[in-house]
Amino acid sequence: MSTKQLILRNLQKNVKNYYLYLFALVFTVALYFTFVTLQFAPAISSKESINLAAMIRTTSIFLIVIIGVFLFYANNLFIKRRSKEIGLFQLIGMTKSRIFFIISLENAIVFLFSIVIGTFIGFALSKFILMIFFKVIGIEESASLFFSMNAFWLTLLVFSVIFLLVMVMNYVFLKRRTILHLFSVTTTTEERVKKISIWEILMGILGIVFILLGYYVSSKLFDGDFNDFQQMMNAMVSILGLVIVGTYLFYKGSVRFITNLIRRQKNGYLDVNEVLSLSSIMFRMKSNAFMLTVITTVSAVAIGLLSLSYISFYSAEKNAEISIPDHFAFTDEGDAERFGKTLKENSIPFVEKRVEYVQKELDISSLIDTDLELTLDTSNSFMTLISEDAVSTMSLREDEVMFTGYNHMVEAIMPLKKKGTVYVSSEGTSIPLTYMGLEDEYILNTRVSPGGLPTAVVDEKLFSKIREGESSTDSYVGINVTKSSTREEANTLFHDLGLHKTHQSQLDLATTQKQNMGLVMFIVAYLGLTFLITSGCILYFKQMDESEEEKPSYRILRKLGYSKRDLLRGIAGKQVFNFGIPLIVGLLHSYFAVRSGWFFFGTTLWTPMIIVMVLYTILYSVFGLLSVKYFKKVIREVL
Amino acid sequence: MIVLEATKLHKSYGNKFTKHEVLKGIDLRIEQGEFVSIMGASGSGKTTLLNVLSSIDRISQGSIKVQGREISKLKEKELASYRKHELGFIFQEYNLLDTLTVKENILLPLSIKKVSKKEANEKFHEVARELDIESISESYPNEISGGQKQRTSAARAFIHDPSIIFADEPTGALDSKSASDLLTKLSDMNEKRKATIMMVTHDPVTASFSSRVIFIKDGSIYTQLNKGEQTRQAFLKDIMKTQGVLGGVSYEY
Ligand SMILES: Nc1ncnc2c1ncn2[C@@H]1O[C@H](COP(=O)(O)OP(=O)(O)OP(=O)(O)O)[C@@H](O)[C@H]1O
Ligand SMILES: [Mg+2]
Repeated sequence: MSTKQLILRNLQKNVKNYYLYLFALVFTVALYFTFVTLQFAPAISSKESINLAAMIRTTSIFLIVIIGVFLFYANNLFIKRRSKEIGLFQLIGMTKSRIFFIISLENAIVFLFSIVIGTFIGFALSKFILMIFFKVIGIEESASLFFSMNAFWLTLLVFSVIFLLVMVMNYVFLKRRTILHLFSVTTTTEERVKKISIWEILMGILGIVFILLGYYVSSKLFDGDFNDFQQMMNAMVSILGLVIVGTYLFYKGSVRFITNLIRRQKNGYLDVNEVLSLSSIMFRMKSNAFMLTVITTVSAVAIGLLSLSYISFYSAEKNAEISIPDHFAFTDEGDAERFGKTLKENSIPFVEKRVEYVQKELDISSLIDTDLELTLDTSNSFMTLISEDAVSTMSLREDEVMFTGYNHMVEAIMPLKKKGTVYVSSEGTSIPLTYMGLEDEYILNTRVSPGGLPTAVVDEKLFSKIREGESSTDSYVGINVTKSSTREEANTLFHDLGLHKTHQSQLDLATTQKQNMGLVMFIVAYLGLTFLITSGCILYFKQMDESEEEKPSYRILRKLGYSKRDLLRGIAGKQVFNFGIPLIVGLLHSYFAVRSGWFFFGTTLWTPMIIVMVLYTILYSVFGLLSVKYFKKVIREVL
Repeated sequence: MIVLEATKLHKSYGNKFTKHEVLKGIDLRIEQGEFVSIMGASGSGKTTLLNVLSSIDRISQGSIKVQGREISKLKEKELASYRKHELGFIFQEYNLLDTLTVKENILLPLSIKKVSKKEANEKFHEVARELDIESISESYPNEISGGQKQRTSAARAFIHDPSIIFADEPTGALDSKSASDLLTKLSDMNEKRKATIMMVTHDPVTASFSSRVIFIKDGSIYTQLNKGEQTRQAFLKDIMKTQGVLGGVSYEY
């Protein structure tokens, strides 16, 4: 047989065997190509926002890293699987360089094919992706289909470099192995089956303890137990360390330890599900511990970031309402009047809210734990005072004070006690006020009421007295249009007036946040999707590998009278574990990560997080189902 | 009582053009409690015969009845159920799941039949005692010797009291001491449990443990030998003589 024939034969056989590798390659090319097409899209590259283009460029580097690692891994798996064949070629007298040449040529064909097909698919996808992209970042531009030559050259370049690196790897692999090695390479990767050792039990327990400890610390992170920046940093680093090491030990020992406990109880009597799941869970998970840890950690990061940016996106309006409690906020009565007049001229009905305020230094140290070591001087903190008249629900006596609208991020770090005495100084005397509690309502915008501290509400009489002592008083004017349908129009008028920047529009703030978060979300989702698909493929490849090694077992079981359906049910169970364990651990990690700090990003936790998690789970399950389908074929063929 | 009755078995491989007939009309009857050996030259079709009788492979023509029931026409699901209830297997190698302990391996046939846990345990202790493997019941296959492995597969074949046990060269991978140990145990089990055993072997000594030897040549039955009242030694001599005639090989003894 000539070399040409040999290559063709091999390709034919391998295309059938490795169609998922091909699929993954095509898919990654498509993803990459679409992404760089974005970068060169005129609508984006022409925008003066250099920020956007830079962000996309940085992301594409991440994309290359994920794709590169994945392709290395996949190639590694395949060359190992083919090592017997390579050994055979050598045995019949082919030189190593000849074999390397054949493999390289084969790979070159596969890569070239993938780049062409992938670019084509990417091109078809790009309009769709561009549309989504414009939609989430709120650029009003129609996405036109265009083929970017630049994007194509970049794709070609990136994948050629990856191809060369893969070839170097193959070369090193071939150079290092002797023929004997090649024949035994598949069997050395999986470790020998033996009884569980004390060391493993210890590792198993430690893994679970580490993870739980990490979760525990994360839930305490913003509870006020860590109160200076250094401590907070230390806590975060130790959470990361605990969880990652814990995850590794979990795969290395805990999984086996737990299954062993369950197994012990069965006293040797296992049903088909257990028989099939055992080997893969007890013995293989351990040797894949490193890979699984990486997959779990990165999925957790991806899910976590996606959830957080979605939370932010989802709560953009709520957040804007907190920072600017009225549709339009003015710090100057004259400007407010001008705007009011414009609204009237355009017959837009509105209501006006006028609040006078005084900024004073208050002593609130009795409301805050004494061991707090913040930069803030709590006996002399700068707060905004308003009269009870501005808050319809409050009525206070002269010696009382109430707080309202405490920024929840600050509240999480610096919670207030339920009772205490607050001192306010007026004309040289310090007046003690009994603290009556905290309300949720936001009265002033954050520009007026700085530092994230709540606004203090006092009795009208007291307020007048304090105001008299001040050289100047300020007032805040909030304007709310009464018909929500006129809000956009009012916003345009607001812009047209060209007022000073200190006056704010709630709608503008919400839109900006939505745009920013939309962009982050899009990018994280893109990276997350790429990662999801590549890690799903890796797990699938692993399963393909496993099925090869477990064929003899399936044969025995079928001889013993297990029907195809029995086995398939067992396999399905096994896949639930194989794909489910990394998924569930990843979801748990991201849940605790999100839970510990979500309030920095928005006001709603559950809905956005659950949507993200469900989507991720569904996409992941597709790979589980694919592998069950593959096993179905294997089971059918063993007898 | 007749346990297994095969008539005019034909089996061929390949398609119309490359047809290769391996079994050419074999008739066979096996009585309850018999211990039958099948011998013949390499490539004569022994494994094929065993495979079709044990429903792992389909026949091309003919009929196979087990306890009066025709099995060659059964569907895949019914076949699985037939194997699970009526058959036991012992093979030359690769017959234990190496991720399960000895005990778990042995209990597999009971687990598919959904026998109660208590009954399963009792049965396990019974066969394990008979085959002398109680002490290794918690070990993994790669921690025990070849002979112990084969006794483990024997235990698994016997535990659910199947109508027939099929064995393909069960002693092939063993040294002669372990082989005769295993065979002694097998023939003990055969007597005690009245289990029917059908075994393929190359080795006359192995065959001499059985009660009947069937010789196959080119896919047909060449001749049969019954042990009858003879001693094992005498039976062995007969077997060797026949084998010599059959394969043109003569043993010196
Ligand atoms: N799956 C198959 N496809 C095609 N031909 C087969 C198949 N299995 C067996 N054969 C052929 O059938 C014939 C008998 O094979 P069989 O395995 O039954 O022999 P055997 O008597 O068991 O030999 P040995 O003592 O070497 O194990 C052989 O010529 C073999 O080539
Ligand atoms: Mg054979």
